Amino acid sequence: MEKQHKYLDLIIIGGGVTGLTAALYAGRMKLSTLVLEADLVGGQIVNAHEIENYPGFASIKGSALVEKIQQQAEFFGAAIDEFDNILKVKLTDEKKIVETESFIYEPKSVIIATGMTRRKLALPEENLFLSKGIHYCELCDGHMYQDKIIAVVGGGNAALDAAKFLTKYAKKLYIIHRSSALTADVLTQENVIKNPIVEVLLNTEIRKAEGKNVLETLQLYDKKEEKEYALPLDGLFVDIGVVPNTAMFAQDLLCDSAGNIIAGEDCKTNEAGVFAAGDVRTKVIRQLTTAAADGTVAALMAEKYIGN
Amino acid sequence: MVKVYSIPNCPWCEKVKKYLKLKNVAYEEFNVEDSDEARDELYKISGDQIVPVTTIDGKNYVVSFDKAKLDALLGL
Repeated sequence: MEKQHKYLDLIIIGGGVTGLTAALYAGRMKLSTLVLEADLVGGQIVNAHEIENYPGFASIKGSALVEKIQQQAEFFGAAIDEFDNILKVKLTDEKKIVETESFIYEPKSVIIATGMTRRKLALPEENLFLSKGIHYCELCDGHMYQDKIIAVVGGGNAALDAAKFLTKYAKKLYIIHRSSALTADVLTQENVIKNPIVEVLLNTEIRKAEGKNVLETLQLYDKKEEKEYALPLDGLFVDIGVVPNTAMFAQDLLCDSAGNIIAGEDCKTNEAGVFAAGDVRTKVIRQLTTAAADGTVAALMAEKYIGN
Repeated sequence: MVKVYSIPNCPWCEKVKKYLKLKNVAYEEFNVEDSDEARDELYKISGDQIVPVTTIDGKNYVVSFDKAKLDALLGL
């Protein structure tokens, strides 16, 4: 059966905080708006146990914050579909196409807010300990490890920044890195390594994560010494890079070498009427508040584009 | 009756339940965090503690949210 074509003002691809904020703004501006989310509405933040850096809330669970923004967006008329997966998009022409499993959408404007995925550890048992000892957000979850033994895996600037942040909680902090030298800049390294609670384990791979209900031990392999050993610890923060979710758009939009969609503060991409917002666009700071800010800008810019 | 093994505050469990509601599929939920019995049943079905698990007969099951697999399991 041929798919039904649907015409609307705006499609927002990605229902994280950026996409939901854009939907809220677009809905209030009376744009017919649909958010398409492939995974979880709310994105990465939905897993956060406690958010303490979003203005207006002393402390709120990620899922509760998402629910509030989602309700706000829906109240103003935006539709959210988290079950109809996108098959392909065509963004290069004035007539833009977003084809899902069920429909062919022809929106006047598109906002891409698909965010980033933290590169995962290549450990099959990782899911068992996700948020139960294995974490991807030190800002969100670091406070759970006051006076505990924790480790950061990774050797770049982001990993070292995470380690520096976590030293204010940990009684002992390991930095686990598979290469023979950290790749973070020297100053960043010095700032972290001078702290007496920090110990760097170079040439070291994580072979296995173990524990009864929560993470208790890592099985490590020292490549230089060629020996495997157990490291007891309470938490592991993974910072081995991020991957922007842009594969679907790479044929239509200019991306940088890391895969981020090239767009400035106005969220405009190289294609008229297509905006990139939130973590997925080229930018320096990626926080919940900047995600919401990008959603705002992108929706206002889309409205301006549609109005013209 | 469709059975969903889940834990509270689990976003993928919520997504499975939301999908079943959308498709008007009646289900019974088993919280494996509160019930040893449910946890044992889950282990018998999947051999693991990962949730959500959706099943009808206790033999064929779907782990996490996978629309295509759920559709196949439930004949949607």
